[in-house]
Amino acid sequence: MKPRDEQELPIIRIRGCLLVSIQTELHDRLALELRSALMERVRTQRVRGVILDVSWVEVIDSYITRILNDIGKSVRFMGADCYMVGIRPAVAMTLVEMGVELDAVSTALSLDAALEKLELPR
Amino acid sequence: MRTVESEIGAILAGSISEITQRSIFRRLGGMARAPLQHLSTQDRHAIQAELESSVRLFAPAKSAQLIASCARALALLGAPAAPAAAGVAGAPGGHAAPAASGADKRLAIDSEKDIASARLEAWSEAVRIGLSKFASVKVATAVSELARNIVFYAGKGTIELRSRLDVRETRLEIVAADQGAGIEPEKLDAIFAGTFRSERGMGKGLVAVQKLVDEFQIDSRPGRGTRVSCVFRGAR
Repeated sequence: MKPRDEQELPIIRIRGCLLVSIQTELHDRLALELRSALMERVRTQRVRGVILDVSWVEVIDSYITRILNDIGKSVRFMGADCYMVGIRPAVAMTLVEMGVELDAVSTALSLDAALEKLELPR
Repeated sequence: MRTVESEIGAILAGSISEITQRSIFRRLGGMARAPLQHLSTQDRHAIQAELESSVRLFAPAKSAQLIASCARALALLGAPAAPAAAGVAGAPGGHAAPAASGADKRLAIDSEKDIASARLEAWSEAVRIGLSKFASVKVATAVSELARNIVFYAGKGTIELRSRLDVRETRLEIVAADQGAGIEPEKLDAIFAGTFRSERGMGKGLVAVQKLVDEFQIDSRPGRGTRVSCVFRGAR
């Protein structure tokens, strides 16, 4: 009953932050797994923030948006920041047209920019 | 006589120098000067592939737009849809009769992995008929939403892609149909009024699709299933 491509997404620790590069289809179970894995590492590793790299994602629909937003919300509840980087222009325009909300994640142009913002004293 | 050289040359003019154009056409060999309506679909795909890599190399800034225009020219001006439609093939200038060419694709949606493939299929169809890059992403997103609704709420269904090209516009119709539980009229009203809330975000996808497309129609009967039809248009 398990989907074929059911692999955990690798979470990389970089400069006090966690980085996830989303390169596969985020289906229900994978999204939930990703969220709890991130939560756990935010707690145990005391990270400053979580960065979701979506530069490989060519289509983001309202469901994926909600998953990403939920991850952002949970991360924020724990006291860390959540950034989404690398969103493609056409994806951004589509999200605007659809009128979906993505209020629990901040955005940055690139991974570097997100890391810089996360390193600023708050 | 319409040839690859004349039609594509007109598209590339201004973006790629004539000398470079000549070297691109040389790579196509005899196909470059053959009348467009004599080229098989296979030939046209081969030409398109060759053009794509050249355009990316020589005009990277405008490549998406040029590639789409080339695809449009090749799909529209090539062989007519019906193989023996001599009347259409012989129409002088090609533009006299609306050389409608289009294809219908029917995709079965049974599981979560079909969502991703439906999305890809829709994307490549949008690009093939020459919709802009932005429009193609919108098409793929809408199909993603509709496929997701089928998998989440009906279990299985179908998505049909119907593309039409004519002189004035490019048109892609998406029809998503299932025999699931359907949606009650009151619920449907609440969804589009924005007052419906559900745990999984049900209804959000439908509202999003409606905002993305040029035409939207939904027909749902409790116990019978749901049918959503929407249309994307691109000017020519």
